[in-house]
Amino acid sequence: MHAVALVLSDSRFPGGGHVHSGGLEEAAARGLVTDIPTLGLFLAGRLRTAGELAAIFAATAVECHEWSILDEELDARTPSPAQREASRAQGRATLRAGRGAWPSPVLDALVRATPRPHHAIVVGALTGIAGGSSGDAALTAAYLSVSGPASAAVRLLGLDPFAANAEVTRLGDAMHAVAERAVSSADLPPEDLPGPGAPGLDLLAEAHLRHHKEEVRLFAS
Amino acid sequence: MKAHARVVAESVDGRTVLRELRSCSPLTLVPHRGKPGHVHLVNSASAPLGGDELDLTLVAGPGARLRVASVAASLVLPGPRPAPSRFTVRVEAADGSIVEYSPDSMIVTHRARHTAAFTGSLEPGARLRVREMLVLGREGERPGSLRTETVVRRGGRPVLNQRLEIDSLIASPAVLAGRRVLASDLRVGHEDPPAAVAGEWCSLVPLAAGGSLATALAHDAVTAQRMIGSLNRSG
Repeated sequence: MHAVALVLSDSRFPGGGHVHSGGLEEAAARGLVTDIPTLGLFLAGRLRTAGELAAIFAATAVECHEWSILDEELDARTPSPAQREASRAQGRATLRAGRGAWPSPVLDALVRATPRPHHAIVVGALTGIAGGSSGDAALTAAYLSVSGPASAAVRLLGLDPFAANAEVTRLGDAMHAVAERAVSSADLPPEDLPGPGAPGLDLLAEAHLRHHKEEVRLFAS
Repeated sequence: MKAHARVVAESVDGRTVLRELRSCSPLTLVPHRGKPGHVHLVNSASAPLGGDELDLTLVAGPGARLRVASVAASLVLPGPRPAPSRFTVRVEAADGSIVEYSPDSMIVTHRARHTAAFTGSLEPGARLRVREMLVLGREGERPGSLRTETVVRRGGRPVLNQRLEIDSLIASPAVLAGRRVLASDLRVGHEDPPAAVAGEWCSLVPLAAGGSLATALAHDAVTAQRMIGSLNRSG
């Protein structure tokens, strides 16, 4: 594994990930996630849906630099506008941090084509520029899809941080499986990339946005 | 069983004519008398069963209006051989055409292994509406495995690309939150909502490239239908 994967996965990387709960805040507010077992089920489902989609586009963006095409293909695989907005907000913040760390004409071209790129595409682009592989990018995206929500659960529900962390590490094999599938599809033309959907997360994201406007919420998504 | 049914609708002097209507058992197509361009899809044998490969192609020429609706729910069952089944629907819609595809509920029974694929290729000025209802298992029954794939492109650009896999993770709040029924109403080329509308378990969202998608997750079909209706979309 290349060091870029460690940097991008580190919660201290200043990419703005800490303001997103990946739907966990809404799930907790509705009593769908209340304890460690329900957190584990939430994370497993998130990894196999939103996590796999992010891994697919991160793996592809390491080599494929058709930024506008990747952007519209990922848009078509993200029907929820709240999810698209969260992805672009996090992408923009990650890009700002990444441009300082790994300045490159590749990133300049990415910004010109898509000023607010999707997070997964930025993760793939930065991984490639730093010398990492599509496997590094996919595993990073897969890990980030569950690490943020797990830490949000600790803050929102007061869960035992050791037990919440254990739920993340329990998904280790599943993360590798997601990353392997993402790498195997990374050479496909962008229009043929799989689009794993998550109806539950989409509905949680839309409802969260509505509640966010009406009452105080800790996380932006 | 392999079957390929096909409908070709054309507009002649402003009136839709069914230029081709090819049934292929178990997919039987029956034109609605008195309503040009309206076709009933009748499942004339128990299908899909394991091993079945069913294809339905709907083609609408410029200005044609084609509406295909099933007359009953389809029950996805395992076949005599342990093979997966697949039902592929392809829509090709030319400029100025309106295509509406409304299959009734698809009920995925225990031990079924099924893929349901929908592909829409639209010219920029075409309109499409697809209403679907997925029911996971009969009352009290655990569903078999199912994969759905929906891909719609307009003028070559992607509008919607979604894959859903029904497996042990459907209980996850991230996937289907343990709910049995997923209803959806996709519209492309119709009037889009200016902003998303969300209920607790339903939403109507504008898609990034135009078009809109209404989705509802419920424990039963009647509630899912009511939730889609509550999203208050005209038409």
